[in-house]
Amino acid sequence: MGIITVDKSDHLFWLGRYTERVHTTLKYYLKTEDVMLDSDPEYYSVLCQKIGIIDVYGSRENFKKRYPFDETDENSIISSLNKAYDNAIVMRDYIGTETMAYIQLAIDDIKKAEKSNSPIVDLMLVIDHILAFWGCVNDIIDDEQIRNIIKLGKGVERLDLYLSLGSSDYEIRREYSRTKGFLKKSGLRYDESVLYTIDSMLDGSDFNYGNVKNLLRNLIQG
Amino acid sequence: MDSLIKNSETINRLLARYGVKFGIYKNGEFKEQLFPFDSIPRIIKSDEFAYLERGLRQRVDALNCFLADIYGKKHIVKDMVIPEEFIFSAKGFLAPCDGVCPPKNIYSHISGIDLVQSKDDSWYILEDNLRVPSGASYPMIARELQRRGAPDVFSNNHVVDNRNYADLLKEVMDNVNTGGINVILSPGRYNAAFFEHSYLAEKTGAVLTTGKDIVCENDNLYYIDYNGKKQRIGAVYRRISDEYLDPMTFYEQSVIGIPHIFEAYRKGNVALLNAPGNGVADDKGIYYFVPKMIRYYLGEDAILMNAPTYLPFYDEDMEYVLDNFDNLVIKDVAEAGGYGVVFGNSLTQEKKAEFIELLKAQPRRFIAQEVIDFYDLDILDENGQRVPRKADLRAFVLTGSTTKVWPSGLTRFSRNPDSFIVNSSQGGGFKDTWVLSR
Repeated sequence: MGIITVDKSDHLFWLGRYTERVHTTLKYYLKTEDVMLDSDPEYYSVLCQKIGIIDVYGSRENFKKRYPFDETDENSIISSLNKAYDNAIVMRDYIGTETMAYIQLAIDDIKKAEKSNSPIVDLMLVIDHILAFWGCVNDIIDDEQIRNIIKLGKGVERLDLYLSLGSSDYEIRREYSRTKGFLKKSGLRYDESVLYTIDSMLDGSDFNYGNVKNLLRNLIQG
Repeated sequence: MDSLIKNSETINRLLARYGVKFGIYKNGEFKEQLFPFDSIPRIIKSDEFAYLERGLRQRVDALNCFLADIYGKKHIVKDMVIPEEFIFSAKGFLAPCDGVCPPKNIYSHISGIDLVQSKDDSWYILEDNLRVPSGASYPMIARELQRRGAPDVFSNNHVVDNRNYADLLKEVMDNVNTGGINVILSPGRYNAAFFEHSYLAEKTGAVLTTGKDIVCENDNLYYIDYNGKKQRIGAVYRRISDEYLDPMTFYEQSVIGIPHIFEAYRKGNVALLNAPGNGVADDKGIYYFVPKMIRYYLGEDAILMNAPTYLPFYDEDMEYVLDNFDNLVIKDVAEAGGYGVVFGNSLTQEKKAEFIELLKAQPRRFIAQEVIDFYDLDILDENGQRVPRKADLRAFVLTGSTTKVWPSGLTRFSRNPDSFIVNSSQGGGFKDTWVLSR
């Protein structure tokens, strides 16, 4: 293939971001559900606060209905999945029908989970499909640049979410190191000085998550 | 065959998994729908396919000769084989194409020819689609999935593999490529046939584009990459209509076309598949003259028959149409996709009188055809029972260094027991088409 245009690089990058957003927010949602079972029924508001979305849910029950399944809620998991699909469908020639199928399966299964008697178990299938999608990205897509742009998107999103969710320094450094590798191999333009600043911050023993998050936003140039 | 039927649901599930959909607009809103698939295939025997193949190649070769003539010296008009009213007043005749010779003089590279089989087993051509015929990708992927779902069926029957469509298409693109990459130009994600555009791009290795990344400079077409590097384009398999192709030459409000692409084509610097202006040859009015074209250009009798057709333009035919109105189907030559089709016997007296007035006022606008008693094909209904339904066959004929007929095709059927309309946009489904090797 070998020809990446501005438009296509954008779709690949956001395909990586949205699939990762589904993956991490869904995993965190499952943890939140667990906490709400018997420890803190209002714990969903902590999730909203951490990932920076307005708590429009009002109750645990409403949150359970809307956050994973409500297509009209821009912040819902299914909305992120639909956005991943929108970016994937226009890249079928680059990522392949087999790879794309896992996004489709994730959409089909999240819709089934909504009507299921055991939605949590069915939502685990969505995570399986996202993992299979990434497996296909590694296994099926020949073009290294295409793979790296998708993985860059995935890495940037994961870092952004991990910083928001307060993951450990170790996890942040590990994800940053991986993401930096993809960035350099992606062929996308980036701001060297921003990269240097993040490097310096993460080299220190203590760093401010909010500052890294802000810098990350300015790393890749349009 | 039983295992195919038993696996019907599985195959439809797999088609959903792979996103085999088509888009439609309902109440101004875009929706993607699965294209209903029926697992009982249409079966064409080897000798029957050989006959169809000869007839289809002959027809498409004659149509290509006709297009070269019409946009060239126009002998067929000068020799009064076809009245000029049918050429120059046709919506599909594009004046800017006059005198333009496409690479290797091929106009219709991918032709979709619609046929039906009558109850006496005769095949009739219903219409020629020489602009942007769609549908090959559906039986192509359905076959792939059926082979997985019911492998025994394919080891016990001698079915010609139809999964070579992408190779044939690539061959056709490469044949006329003027030097550069092949691209598939799509109107975009919200086009009804976007699945097909993206799937064929994947399978042929052509670049899928909506034109945003293409520029025309010095009458050459280039694809611009992320770093601004230009790659020359040698062939464009365009899936957008003539009128939207180039705002500088055709419809100036078009936002999906590529400015100056026609100029690059006119100068021979890029191949357009299919060539612009082909609409003149697949006009329903011109259809009547195709057997005459075959005789005129090839000196042969047509192997495949047209459905018996009348042109109200001719007094004699008008008289016949008026006398037999209730037994005929009247088609508006400007319409497509199953629209503009009126069955004489379906009209009330009042509507019939109105329609006849219109017919008399605009005789060039309509053709009338005998209603062919289709050979029904069995489909599985929602209860899994076999029921007969009307079905047609779209054969794909590809013209590269030679003209080849794809050994398969899109069999479309009506899901409504009382309808002859098989188009997907009107609720129809599709079947695989098997050609037996012996």
